[in-house]
Order: sequence, then C-alpha cells, then structure tokens
Amino acid sequence: MAEEPESVLQLPPSTAVGGEGLTEISPETVTPEPPSAAVSPGSEEPTGDTKKKIDILLKAVGDTPIMKTKKWAVERTRTIQGLIDFIKKFLKLVASEQLFIYVNQSFAPSPDQEVGTLYECFGSDGKLVLHYCKSQAWG
Amino acid sequence: MTSGVKHDFYNWKKKTLSFNMEEDEFFSEKTFQYYCVEFIKHSQQINDGWEWKTSKDCSDGYMCKTHFQIKNGTVGSHPGTSACIQTCLPTEEALELPLDDFEVLETAAASEVIKYEYHVLYSCSYQVPVLYFRASFLDGRPLTLKDIWERVHECYKTRLLQGPWDTITQQEHPILGQPFFVLHPCKTNEFMTPILQNSQKIKRNVNYITSWLSIVGPVVGLNLPLSYANTTFQGERNGD
Repeated sequence: MAEEPESVLQLPPSTAVGGEGLTEISPETVTPEPPSAAVSPGSEEPTGDTKKKIDILLKAVGDTPIMKTKKWAVERTRTIQGLIDFIKKFLKLVASEQLFIYVNQSFAPSPDQEVGTLYECFGSDGKLVLHYCKSQAWG
Repeated sequence: MTSGVKHDFYNWKKKTLSFNMEEDEFFSEKTFQYYCVEFIKHSQQINDGWEWKTSKDCSDGYMCKTHFQIKNGTVGSHPGTSACIQTCLPTEEALELPLDDFEVLETAAASEVIKYEYHVLYSCSYQVPVLYFRASFLDGRPLTLKDIWERVHECYKTRLLQGPWDTITQQEHPILGQPFFVLHPCKTNEFMTPILQNSQKIKRNVNYITSWLSIVGPVVGLNLPLSYANTTFQGERNGD
C-alpha cells in the first residue's frame, strides 16, 4: 500500500470555521464545517513531544467515493462520530446514507471512541489507517 | 512448492474450512455458530460476559450478555428538589447539605440504572445474525419502545426518527417466546458485503459476528471493547 506523497491537511477545529488551527498546505479546499470535538482554540499544531494531533490515513471501501485528500491531522480527542460527520460532509453524502469507519479493515469502533485511543491501539508507522464505507444501513 | 502440491493443499483447505466465507454462498447457521464460538472465546479472555445458550431441544442456540448501564443525571436547582434529595440520601448526609446548594452527589440521587440483555440469534429468513434485546429498570419495570428510542445514540437518531418502525421493533424471541426488541436485519447484507469482499481481497477471513456486532451494537448501547478488533480475522490463510 503505497502512500501518496500528499500534504497532511488539518481537520477544521470546532471553534472556528476554516479559521484558526487550519493549515492548508495543498491547494485543495476543505469544506468549512465546524465538527464537534474538543480543540484548544488558536493553537497551531504543536511540533513538540506531546503531539495533540495524530495522523490519519483514510481509505475507501467498496463503492464509497475516494476522498481526494486522504491524510489528515486530527486532534486526539476527536470522536469517531465527529470524524464520520466530517467525511460525510466532505463527500457530500445525503442524510439517508450512513458512513461507517473501521479499524483493522473490519471492526467499527463505537461513535464515542476517541481517535487518540485508536491511534495508541492500532496506529503504526506514525499514523492510524481507517477504512470508511458508505451504506444505506437502515431503511 | 510445486504447483501440483499447492493445488492439493488448496483443495484440502477448501474441504476442511467449511466456514470459509469465500466458498460459502451465504451465511449459514453453522457459520453463525462457528463465529459466535470464536467471539465468545475472546469474550472469556477479557471477561466481557458473553455466553452461548442452546435451545431446549438443542436444535439451535444464541449468544447473550447482560449489561448494566448507569447514567448519571443532573439535579437542577429548583425549590422542590431539596426534599427529594434528602429522602434519597442517608440522614446524616442530608443534614449536612445546605438547602440552597445543589451540587449534590450525583451518583446517589440521580443515577439511572438500566439492565440490558442482548441476544444474538440467527435469522433463517434473512440468513444473517439478528440482535434482540430487552431492557428494564432495577425495579423490574421494562422499558417501552419509546424509552428505547429515546436512548438510541445521537448519531443514529436522525435516521431512526425517519422510520422507527423499520429499525427497532418489538417481536417475540424465537427461542424464549418472550417479547424483545429487535434491530431489523433487512439491511445487514448491505453493510456487511463491502467488509466481506474486502476481506476476500486481502485474503483474510473476517469474523462476521465481531464485525457485525461492532456496527449494530452501538445503536442500542452495546459497545464492544477495542480488543475485539484484533480478533476479527480468524484462521489466517497462508498465501497459496
């Protein structure tokens, strides 16, 4: 699985809309939606030992559209649900479509699970690989 | 390995690994039971409380677990509350409580404890596992369908409210004959298929039950510990 030589984009913080903490390195634009997660306002990504953000690599499963930007720096406290909401908006999914996120390509962490914890358990090579899949799960 | 030997080995594997998802056209009851057993093995390792129960005539069975969910409520500061708090707490503590201060011991006064029972059964008609569950307060009072809906996780509520009758309904437990709530299985294949196809692609056999339960469980308050994620792949296949 070769990694694309893409820049790492920051997920927009909850307190600002496309504002503080958002460092866009690539020319692609990010949908400026404020997801729900705890983030310290006004902080740029710290480069010290205590990284508040972790790198996530998103991979599509099945017929799910592939995100143009796959690598993201996400606050450790971001929940799976927060990440799901973000990807849904990024992919412009309709309300009736459900999005699932998996670790290990097969296991869906509960929505309240923090990505920081998942990184500790399943991360490797400095990143957490998450697979995502859309589905009409109910109805 | 010469190609001849490889071929024989592959055929042998095909015959013995009868639960192999690649070969099975459908998720059979036998497959269901196999994956439940594997799931329970891990549950026992981490004391997660799942058990296998066989029906009286031993023709089929199901997997079940009881779970107590404690929710701390908050006590608002309106006038009537002090009396309520004082009756809940032991007398000595109540006397020490200033009447106009409502930073109460939340656990004592306002906890809600609900006993959930989760049962995983096999549906012959849909050929998928189905999640049955029931819930009651500690005094034995069962939760109503409305109570259940209210407790569904926020992130699923929108979809649920669009068509509650499609998603959670009340039905008779096929083996126990008692009323249970059921998470409707009609869409199970839809969300399981991509995972299974992907597992075929990467040549790893996924535990259907573990994957499935990790997806549907949270809808009704059942969250699998993360260690199950390391057990989703069963019987690693060596590359042929």
